[in-house]
Amino acid sequence: MSENVYIDVENAWLKFRIYKNRSPALKEAIISKFKPKPNITEITEFDALKNINLNLRGGDRVGLVGLNGAGKSTLLKMIVGIYPPKFGKVHVRGKVTPLIELGTGFDVELSGRENIFLNGALLGRSYKQMKSLEQEIIEFSELGEFIDLPIKYYSSGMHGRLAFSIGTIVDPEILIVDEIFATGDAHFVNKATNRMKALFTNSQIVMLVSHDTDKIIDLCNRVLVLHKGEVINDGSPKEMVDYYLKEIVN
Amino acid sequence: MVLSQENTSDINAKVNSMVEIIPAGNLLEPISESFFSFIKRSLFELSNLKFALTSFVVNNLRRRYRRSVLGFAWSLLNPLTTMIIMTTVFSIIFHNNPKEFGIYIFTGILPWTFMLDSITGGSLSLVDAEGFLKKVYIPKLFFPLVVVSTEAVNFVLSLSSLMILGLILGMPIGLSLLSLPFALAILYVFNFGAALFLAISTVYFRDLTHITRQLLQAVFYLVPICYPLNAVPPKFLVLFKINPFYYFINLFRIIIYQGQFPQPKDWLVPSVIAVLALILGFLLLKRTEKDIIFRL
Repeated sequence: MSENVYIDVENAWLKFRIYKNRSPALKEAIISKFKPKPNITEITEFDALKNINLNLRGGDRVGLVGLNGAGKSTLLKMIVGIYPPKFGKVHVRGKVTPLIELGTGFDVELSGRENIFLNGALLGRSYKQMKSLEQEIIEFSELGEFIDLPIKYYSSGMHGRLAFSIGTIVDPEILIVDEIFATGDAHFVNKATNRMKALFTNSQIVMLVSHDTDKIIDLCNRVLVLHKGEVINDGSPKEMVDYYLKEIVN
Repeated sequence: MVLSQENTSDINAKVNSMVEIIPAGNLLEPISESFFSFIKRSLFELSNLKFALTSFVVNNLRRRYRRSVLGFAWSLLNPLTTMIIMTTVFSIIFHNNPKEFGIYIFTGILPWTFMLDSITGGSLSLVDAEGFLKKVYIPKLFFPLVVVSTEAVNFVLSLSSLMILGLILGMPIGLSLLSLPFALAILYVFNFGAALFLAISTVYFRDLTHITRQLLQAVFYLVPICYPLNAVPPKFLVLFKINPFYYFINLFRIIIYQGQFPQPKDWLVPSVIAVLALILGFLLLKRTEKDIIFRL
């Protein structure tokens, strides 16, 4: 495995601010300057992630388990760069494919084909690269002649098939998956499951968030248990899933 | 940065190696990165999104004229009909020579519209992009840039309609038009700087987009667009001279309406204003880059 692919997270904290009054309007900002107690914009901060430390290298397949709101998706989004940590460091090196929300940036007025390019562009790919992948994506999505229709006429299954096909077309070095398992008919789900398995084998580092603990045990070789923004346990999949189900779920 | 030493052959590797995040400290404190290297990093990030930028711009334009029979031709026809109507009306009301006055008005209105649409559209660009910004990593300056670039394409098309109108009215097409691309570049830089600055400010103060709109409405009358500057009483002239918008419009007037090459000072003032706007935008971005996502 190449040494060039890694994820290092050092003492990372992520705070979200919750505004009672979400965006302070200019008027209020001025008024509060003159008021003795500036109590208009009450801000409560909460720690979405606390003191996260991770050193992932090639071969690591890490599963994240935790209750809703434990910070699993937030951790993935921090690693992808969407949320910068308030303290600490995040270093990522390698070709990252984030399968966090498929179909980001789909424009319903545009055709499936146009959306392939738009979505690919948002994932940082070049025109040349997308041109060479275009045919493969269309074939995998099985959209056939529908590819040139605006996607607002697509069924949700077709929509999902297209999004999945674009997102998973390139073998990544780092694969970040948030609860993505393909939608569609049995035939497509079957094909997509195989594609996902291939992606898992071909990627050097995988991070997977899922509530399906069987899948986690099956696919990962290490599991982190997240609770209220903290990694409270870390170890082999079977043990961690048992711990999670016993200590936290119940 | 570690990544810049990497093999640059793979676009994805480049994009993603940029995820390296510098310790942020207190979010609103300036982070320990020099202004110069910040700009370098921003431009580097943008260079990976060249294709995304063109896709967004092309799609914006396509969407505007989608399903219409004439399609893209509307982007030429729209300004052309507006110009013909206004020229006719104004030359009847003010008994002006339509040839002179028509061209005069539109050398003002077109750059003004470019500025207005870039700035008002740009001010909402980050707020509107919340859905993107929370799902994929895209540098923040991408979105104001998309708005300004879309409007720039529109502006070029409108200028072409003006040339058509000019030919109809018998306007002399001179060599001075060669300096048009430079004027366009300066205005583009100004619009981007202003749009970037306002886009970020609007994330923090949402009212700003309305305030901007109202202010620009007032400013419209402080730019000699529908009337000649010599119709203004001398005591009010200072109001025009301190108005930065005036200098950009002036530039286009000299080139198209007067058919002359602008003097060095005609270039200098708008260039300085444009660069200042750009620096201001980048300074604000540097300060708030890591905080914006939490304010959307």
